[in-house]
Amino acid sequence: MPEIKVTPLGAGQDVGRSCILVSIGGKNIMLDCGMHMGYNDDRRFPDFSYVTQNGRLTDFLDCVIISHFHLDHCGALPYMSEMVGYDGPIYMTHPTKAICPILLEDFRKITVDKKGETNFFTSQMIKDCMKKVVPLNLHQTVQVDDELEIKAYYAGHVLGAAMVHIKVGSESVVYTGDYNMTPDRHLGAAWIDKCRPDILISESTYATTIRDSKRCRERDFLKKVHESIERGGKVLIPVFALGRAQELCILLETFWERMNLKAPIYFSTGLTEKANHYYKLFITWTNQKIRKTFVQRNMFEFKHIKAFDRSYADNPGPMVVFATPGMLHAGQSLQIFKKWAGNEKNMVIMPGYCVQGTIGHKILNGQRKLEMEGRATLDVKLQVEYMSFSAHADAKGIMQLIRMAEPRNMLLVHGEAAKMEFLKGKIEQEFSIDCYMPANGETVAVKTNPSVPVDMSVNLLKREMALGGPLPDPKRPRSMHGTLIMKESSLKLVSSEQALKELALNEHQLRFTCRVALQDPHSDSETLHRIYTHLKSLLKGYTIQHLPDGTVMVESIVIKVSSSAEDANAKILLLSWSYQDEDLGSFLSSVLKK
Amino acid sequence: MFISWSIPPRSSSGHLGKVSENGESSDSITGSDGTVCVAGFSSSKNELLELRLPLKLFAEENKGLCAERDFKVVHGGFSEGPVSCLRHVPGTRLIVTNDGRGTDLQVWDLGGEESDVIRRTGSVKGMESASKRGSRIAASASPSPQVLHGAESSSVQLTQLTSGQSLYKLETDSADPLNSLQFTGDAVFLAGCSNGKMYLADTRTPAAPLMSPPPPSSGQSVVWWTDASADPQQPSCRVVRLSSSGHAVVSDLRKLGEAACQAQLDVHGRPDNVTVSWAPRRNCISVSGFSGVVEIYDTRDWRTALRRAPPLFQHRGHAVSCQQTDGCDPVRITAHVWHPERPQTLLSTASDGSVHVWDWVEPDANRLESQSEPSIEQDQK
Repeated sequence: MPEIKVTPLGAGQDVGRSCILVSIGGKNIMLDCGMHMGYNDDRRFPDFSYVTQNGRLTDFLDCVIISHFHLDHCGALPYMSEMVGYDGPIYMTHPTKAICPILLEDFRKITVDKKGETNFFTSQMIKDCMKKVVPLNLHQTVQVDDELEIKAYYAGHVLGAAMVHIKVGSESVVYTGDYNMTPDRHLGAAWIDKCRPDILISESTYATTIRDSKRCRERDFLKKVHESIERGGKVLIPVFALGRAQELCILLETFWERMNLKAPIYFSTGLTEKANHYYKLFITWTNQKIRKTFVQRNMFEFKHIKAFDRSYADNPGPMVVFATPGMLHAGQSLQIFKKWAGNEKNMVIMPGYCVQGTIGHKILNGQRKLEMEGRATLDVKLQVEYMSFSAHADAKGIMQLIRMAEPRNMLLVHGEAAKMEFLKGKIEQEFSIDCYMPANGETVAVKTNPSVPVDMSVNLLKREMALGGPLPDPKRPRSMHGTLIMKESSLKLVSSEQALKELALNEHQLRFTCRVALQDPHSDSETLHRIYTHLKSLLKGYTIQHLPDGTVMVESIVIKVSSSAEDANAKILLLSWSYQDEDLGSFLSSVLKK
Repeated sequence: MFISWSIPPRSSSGHLGKVSENGESSDSITGSDGTVCVAGFSSSKNELLELRLPLKLFAEENKGLCAERDFKVVHGGFSEGPVSCLRHVPGTRLIVTNDGRGTDLQVWDLGGEESDVIRRTGSVKGMESASKRGSRIAASASPSPQVLHGAESSSVQLTQLTSGQSLYKLETDSADPLNSLQFTGDAVFLAGCSNGKMYLADTRTPAAPLMSPPPPSSGQSVVWWTDASADPQQPSCRVVRLSSSGHAVVSDLRKLGEAACQAQLDVHGRPDNVTVSWAPRRNCISVSGFSGVVEIYDTRDWRTALRRAPPLFQHRGHAVSCQQTDGCDPVRITAHVWHPERPQTLLSTASDGSVHVWDWVEPDANRLESQSEPSIEQDQK
């Protein structure tokens, strides 16, 4: 039975290092190539030894596909392509291709320059890696080679995120990457057609969560910001330049407009212009509302949000500042934080996950005295808040996606098996499909049942139709006899005679002969007659003839009676049948033996 | 002023229904305590969920925003039929349910760390009921896990869960359909009938129960619901009875026949899945089941003479979020429960599948804040 093999890479049950290997129809594909932000050693990269023990990966992979620009999905790409070695195509959407290198470079700078790491990819490696990228458009089928084709679908989540449909022959797989089934202020919701893949691969990190309503979450956030502003405090929101930042900007801009607030909102320079530039460039990747209003005004050109200058941090009075980077681990957001930490009227709101070791992580864990460079300590008196605005699918989202795509099997990665049994049960009950949950490093082989299209000769078709019976029905298989001729890549089903003619072969006949001994005092012809009447009563519906030449014919089977020379009572029955009547022949011989 | 979390409605699995609170921490749930069991009561398959409440609830006073706002499904299971009554057996990881169609009960094990599936472990046979009503359930852990159950006053029995043995039967003359069954002490229980009668009995003695007739105002078609308080600060247990016309009567458990105080509540609408509940540590009662709102009343203002009593607080969250969704049927509260340790917190579920965990604050202290609710664009959900 043909099968598709899926192996999530990485060590342990850890989340955050997305990299999945798929073997389908003889092709090997790597889905995402992420970095784990929590480790400082080789554990942050996926374990590529699953592909090959040593040497370059080019010969073992047909292509690499990257779903979106988050580092836990593309962070290990330059390492994989330039340091381990891969020269084949890397597919990703246009926005991902534009934004990926910026984030990779940013990350590289912090890791190497600030932390002083040596075994890391260089700027040149990032550039070389990106040269191998082939960009994808939504809903456009791309032929990787003459057997493998891929197609990207909108995934929501962040700008340019895609779900990918991979097809080889009549087998297919859909990989979701990270996706979101509810639209937000600047992105639409994920969408896919009823493509009925053999396997739908989805992350299950949030599968056991039931998400709180976005409205309540936003209202709480705005309330907190408003309260701080009202009492004259300053609010710092550390963000990554691209991603949730745009969502929060639109949220605040709308709120400021409604409430007629005057306090300034700033967005730190540097990546701001580039970010806005990309959103304007890829306007088709945002949601419909933004596209509609784009004609009147650009949603990303804000009235109340201005560019930040370092000196503003010392200005008196309330303000809100969006500053990069997001985990307060370096750069401008950290500088501002240091200035504002001492005042309890101020507030910092962390809008996402903070990796261990970063200041963001420390203050979220309640640390109120921080050690800075030069042995200086910082007293953290401002209010520390956390609010996750990340857009991921929860259990309900996963069920919705399955309903849309109608896969034949489901595969969940990045969850703990013990904590997923209920979801597995839900999926199996509602959709009657198998649900697999491989651990990292474990290979799952999913059996597929591909249908092979075959041409059939008209003669054979007519013959089959003449046999009568129910009309062709995909749900009820019907077997038939024929000869399959494979010429190059075409398959043709013809009748045996036609095949013989085409191949210029002679048909051989095969006849079986069987002798049955019995005792009968009657004469040969009487014995034969007795057999004839017996068979006639037993085998109604079959053509049984008693021929004048002393034989009985059952269909095409010949029965003769002869007696032994020594003993007139010892009769020998001779049965002879051709290969086609094998079943009937053996049946007769067993009947007559009794 | 309230903070609320709501779970977006799950239209395919029917309605979320009865809620049973297990506030005590359990060794098998590491980390925070506080989980809640929720089940659906649509006519066919339903889900039972053990949800861990968002960590936000456990944040200190100053912190407005907290790490987790989401509910976590800690364990889940499937029920073949509707779940009309659900009770957690204290001190165990067991829950007992009834489907509202018969008197038999289903026993479930919520499970521990090794798996997240709630499994059916057994059943308890109930006595036949002519009316085809479901049974009410009360559970106790001492001396061993046992359940008190029955659909009518004449068919209430106490069954030990491990052996299935019937330990006690309530002897009454009439078969009055029950709307509530509750332990008020170790072995003392109160059976509230829908006609307003109450029976008080002790499972340790075969003595006849004390019967209290319905309040004088009760008429032919009036239905009553009952709740007994378990406030350790109060000298004795109080019982509230609420009628389908909004008449609420509070009595002392020792003097059931007398009304200590009463009030006419302003409830409109057809009652369905009515819950009336004492706050764990206050003189407040909460009412739901007449509409899409949960109301809280202060009984200290009530007198012996019947007067109208306005609610102290109304949680409109379910009704409001429903209005904001297009094409939504008017939502009705299906169940609500008080948080056993946090006196300001309640949980409510509604017919659209939403679950809210919310705090209430007495209006006087917060008049200013309740007016400045920010409003945001509603066109994107």
